[in-house]
Amino acid sequence: MIGLDIAFWILAVVGVIAALAVVLLGDVFRAALSLVLCFLTVAGIYITLSADFLAAVQILIYVGAISVLIILAIMLTRDVQRGSPSNRLRLPAFLVAILFFGGVAYALLNTTWQVSSTPPLEPTTPAIARLLFSEGGFILPVEIAPILLLAAIIGAIVLVREK
Amino acid sequence: MVGLEHYLILSAVLFSIGLYGALAKRNAIVILMSIELMLNAVNIAMVAFSRYIVPLLLTGQVFVIFIMVVAAAEVAVGLAIIIAIYRHRETIDATKIDLMKW
Amino acid sequence: MLNLELFTPELTLAATAIVVILLDLVIPRKGWLVVVSLAGVVVAAGFTIAMWGGSSQAIFNNMLAVDNFALFFKLLFLAIAALVILASVDYVSKFSRFQGEYYALVLLSALGMMLMAATAELISIYIALELASISLYVLVGFLKDPKSTEASLKYLLLGAVASAVLLFGMALVFGFTGQTQLGEIAQAIQGLSLSGVLDSPGLILGMVLMVAGFGFKIAAIPFHMWVPDVYEGAPTPITAYLSVASKAAGFAIILRVFYSAFGLPSWLSLDWGFIFAVLAAIGMTLGNVIAIPQTNIKRMLGYSSIAQAGYLMVGLAVVGFSPAAEVVGRSSLLFFLASYALTNLGAFTAIIAISNKVDSDLIQDYSGMGRRAPLLALALTLCLISLIGMPPAAGFMAKFYIFSGAVQHGLLWLVVIAVINSVISAYYYLRVVKVMWLGEPASEEKVPSSGALRLALSLSCLGVLLLGVIPGYIMKLAEMAAKMFAF
Repeated sequence: MIGLDIAFWILAVVGVIAALAVVLLGDVFRAALSLVLCFLTVAGIYITLSADFLAAVQILIYVGAISVLIILAIMLTRDVQRGSPSNRLRLPAFLVAILFFGGVAYALLNTTWQVSSTPPLEPTTPAIARLLFSEGGFILPVEIAPILLLAAIIGAIVLVREK
Repeated sequence: MVGLEHYLILSAVLFSIGLYGALAKRNAIVILMSIELMLNAVNIAMVAFSRYIVPLLLTGQVFVIFIMVVAAAEVAVGLAIIIAIYRHRETIDATKIDLMKW
Repeated sequence: MLNLELFTPELTLAATAIVVILLDLVIPRKGWLVVVSLAGVVVAAGFTIAMWGGSSQAIFNNMLAVDNFALFFKLLFLAIAALVILASVDYVSKFSRFQGEYYALVLLSALGMMLMAATAELISIYIALELASISLYVLVGFLKDPKSTEASLKYLLLGAVASAVLLFGMALVFGFTGQTQLGEIAQAIQGLSLSGVLDSPGLILGMVLMVAGFGFKIAAIPFHMWVPDVYEGAPTPITAYLSVASKAAGFAIILRVFYSAFGLPSWLSLDWGFIFAVLAAIGMTLGNVIAIPQTNIKRMLGYSSIAQAGYLMVGLAVVGFSPAAEVVGRSSLLFFLASYALTNLGAFTAIIAISNKVDSDLIQDYSGMGRRAPLLALALTLCLISLIGMPPAAGFMAKFYIFSGAVQHGLLWLVVIAVINSVISAYYYLRVVKVMWLGEPASEEKVPSSGALRLALSLSCLGVLLLGVIPGYIMKLAEMAAKMFAF
């Protein structure tokens, strides 16, 4: 257990620093790379929560697909990127974020969560497959998701193709 | 001993950082990246709740899978729009885009 | 066992969307795309009507409710989609390509909204909402000119932030109850025997964040920033679509989630009722005041829709304040949504017809429209009168039902604010009427309109008049719909 604790703290600190770098760095490309680092630490966090399947999916989708998409977009629009400046709302945005964090932290720490002492299920992959695809599982969202992806694909093609 | 609260606070910190970035940044791509941070923060909270509240049900993990699907679709459409704008205006600064007030 | 026959309206719509895209590739005469899309909508509506009045059921492991509430909204969305498709015909025929994709995306977003009204489980709610939203992001940017793409980008970025906030709220509710089914969430909350807000800040925060996330969809203050820009930049038929369908879907989902998951204990429903009452008061006032100086009619209607969302939230407050068994609050909200949908669609259809000719959305360019296109001007006048809430139009009865419900449940202060606001709003709506009928026409040229537009416009105006003159029938349907919650 002590190993998990140490892993959590290292991942949490690295993840928060990487997240701060995303919003504070002046260079878009470096911000994108810190975002990749942050995604990786989140995958590590999933492992400490014994969500092995999700950790793999996180690396495939976020670290793989989404990061590559973002970096591609940065390179495509590179000649007009003037870094990653803040707008005039920097101070109000900072206050909103701090207030939001204060409120959420207060609520999170003062609620009695119904924590169960059962050890988590492992491995998770077969259980997730049953939840997704069997009767009595989440078959409805599984059916809506491909339609959503279809809409997104059509949309991306329509928007990017020249007139 | 690390418990549910630790994960939740980590999630709140990441979400607030993402919120700050989404509100304070000008570059549309950086705003999209901040939104991804917020979604990852939510995912951590979901998985933590799933692990500690219903350890045998995995509902939260299934939720996270769907959030990832939607996030990927949203990023694809978002970047398509950004590229379409770039073609016309040669800028993707969300405040420079000022034909209409922000 | 899956009862797929209860899923036929959705399946029909999805199939139609795919057929339209494929047809677009092979047929040269694009008019058929409209026919096929409309046929799909009509068939889906037929399946929906066939289910009306039956007992409430739920399919897909209780994730999709098939009750009269869902069916009412499905019919509303199908009607809106049909009118929007009709109103788009002229607009879309100018596109050199992607006509099939346009209609397909309208159908897919209607599908998303239909699912939103029926889903009773957090994951499905989220993914249905995103299906509707992503299709709309693309439709807003469909013109690909600078204004349209910018509007689309703003809509997407703000929408994604709102979804993230909504998800955080859902995560907290899930964490607090361990459930994602609305019915089971309700049971878990009632089982915990909470005594007040301080007992359960996590649950309250989750609820507030969900209000914020859904508030974006219905354009409630303070999540309304996207409205004027997106309304101005989007293709006008899509503006009409956004202003009514997206808003109705938002209200449908809020009603279902808050009524069936957070309806009891009563201090909880008083809490959210009060949140909506405050949002309503601010929304009405700000929307109406900012609408006054607007010179662009699409922007003006954008702010007006923020104000209308305020009136609708009075209805939500009534639902929160009234005991769970009472249907009046919910049925008057459904009636208001139906009347608002017809009214706004009518107004926007008239605007599409006029701006096709004068190629401008500025109110001053509507000068003398009463002489150039008397029927169009008359229809627009009727819709604006309905938006103010004056008889004989539907808006009057809609406001009457909602406000009388509010008075009965001790929300007199809110009704006073709402009535003052209606008077303020009369100023800017009537200004358009005055410009149209008393202003000097810029030219004597008549404003022509196509058959599809005239059909869409006369259908909406007929609806506005019918709902205003004989509201009893629709009200009865709304009451049936409001009673039959499956959970």
